[in-house]
Amino acid sequence: MSKIREQALTFGEELPPPTPDTMHWVVYTCKKPGAPFKWAGYVDAPDEALALQYAREHYGLDEACVGLITHRHEDAIDSEYALKNLEPIDASGTDGDEWTVLTLNRRGGNHQTAGVVHAPNANTALARAQASFAGSKVCSIRVVKSSQVLETNEEELLIWRHHDMSYKLARGYSKQVRSKWTRIRDEQTYEDYRQEDIADHF
Amino acid sequence: MSGAANPVAPAEITIDEDPDRLAEFEQRIADGVLIEPGDWMPEAYRLLQLRMAEHHANSEIVGALPEGEWITRAPGMLRKLALTAKVQDEVGHGQMLYRVSQELGKSRDDMLRDLVTGKTKYHNCFNYPCPTWADIAMVQWLIDGAAIMNQKTLADGAYGPYVRTMNRINMEEAFHFKSGEDMVLTLMSGTKAQKAMTQEAFDRWWTIALAFFGPHDKPGAEDMPAMRWRMKIERNDSLRQRFVNRFAPAAIDLGLVINVVTKNEQGLVTSATPDEQLGVDESTGQWSFTEPDWDEFWKVIRGHGPCNAQRLALRRFSYEQGAWVRRAIAHGAVVTPPAA
Repeated sequence: MSKIREQALTFGEELPPPTPDTMHWVVYTCKKPGAPFKWAGYVDAPDEALALQYAREHYGLDEACVGLITHRHEDAIDSEYALKNLEPIDASGTDGDEWTVLTLNRRGGNHQTAGVVHAPNANTALARAQASFAGSKVCSIRVVKSSQVLETNEEELLIWRHHDMSYKLARGYSKQVRSKWTRIRDEQTYEDYRQEDIADHF
Repeated sequence: MSGAANPVAPAEITIDEDPDRLAEFEQRIADGVLIEPGDWMPEAYRLLQLRMAEHHANSEIVGALPEGEWITRAPGMLRKLALTAKVQDEVGHGQMLYRVSQELGKSRDDMLRDLVTGKTKYHNCFNYPCPTWADIAMVQWLIDGAAIMNQKTLADGAYGPYVRTMNRINMEEAFHFKSGEDMVLTLMSGTKAQKAMTQEAFDRWWTIALAFFGPHDKPGAEDMPAMRWRMKIERNDSLRQRFVNRFAPAAIDLGLVINVVTKNEQGLVTSATPDEQLGVDESTGQWSFTEPDWDEFWKVIRGHGPCNAQRLALRRFSYEQGAWVRRAIAHGAVVTPPAA
């Protein structure tokens, strides 16, 4: 083991005082210009600047993406998580602040951006969002005041690097792994073995 | 390194809820409806799901420790980059799973404190040493391979936030596993010394991988809360059998020998003899194999494994050394540097 880790680690009898959890932020990434932002995960950060930095370093480097947005968890207002699809309702209007609308296609699925509505308050925003975006594949709607959504893209803040980063993707190895396996196993045996691989990956 | 959400289930779970609400909840589960945070859930369900997600989060951040030690010694720049990315991924998985746990009612600080004081556990497999580069290869091939089998089933569970997190995590595990496969294939097509090193590492990790899925299922496991509420959808023994069916023939084709081993207190192999139980029933495709040493399994879970003290000491050291950062953040004394 490394020399540092061979040293006896010393610490006090008592743990340091507890610290409160910082704010929770929800992060969404966008894979190509014009595509919706899809839920990627969460970060904990004390302020907007660090939330964007953490989101960039964590989720912006997990997958090839061109932009990400984040908002405080508590700034999101969700409709019910319906057991069936939400039906469009009659609600319209253009007054009030701009709200970003995210839809969820199924329980256990991922929210993604759908568009914006204008409304004077959250409940009205939810109603107008349901009028505009509910349909065959929406079981829940989330609205966040657009002014509370932080956004960055590759021009403002470097996200996915421009050099070859295939070393951190499964597809960066697939060809050579297949080639090495099929030197010692026949194609069908390799295919049978590969059935347990994860088919959907970055 | 991947974690697996296979904490030891408590023997008795008390379910003290309104029978009508409980029946409605269980009907939803039976109908395949996923539970989301705003839904009513039995307190026992919340506690079990919290325990599962917290155990998994702990496993992710402790599991990053042995691999992190190898970043500077990884052979070549590409392996260094890949291992760095993998360790970053694992810690990121911990971040996501702690968030799922927070949603179920426990603060992050409480979870970290419970981990470093030994009140909560992490996966047993991270209490073993990685003395060579081939051990890192085995961890990524066998342990991540086992984790993927387990986590694919967890992604079919019933708790929405855990399911979406698991799907995201699995997309990254695909890279970890492929990278590990490539490392094992490279070593086994290398020199005699590299092959010998790989066989020794395989001897150390084969039985750990078999024990990865947890102990034998208790009779009636399907009726107990973890499976009845679809937090866990496949029995430990079933997953273990699938693992052997996949990896035993692959190991043999690679030129590895599946041995029954004895180990010393440091987790190093002191004797290895070919597994006489090993074989395949051609009519069913099922492989037979020698069971892992369950006495050793329980001993390590109780804190007496080769690396339990070392792993917890490093986590505790890190928690204490990072206290000033958490204080600074909590008091708004952090200045963010300009964007790169």
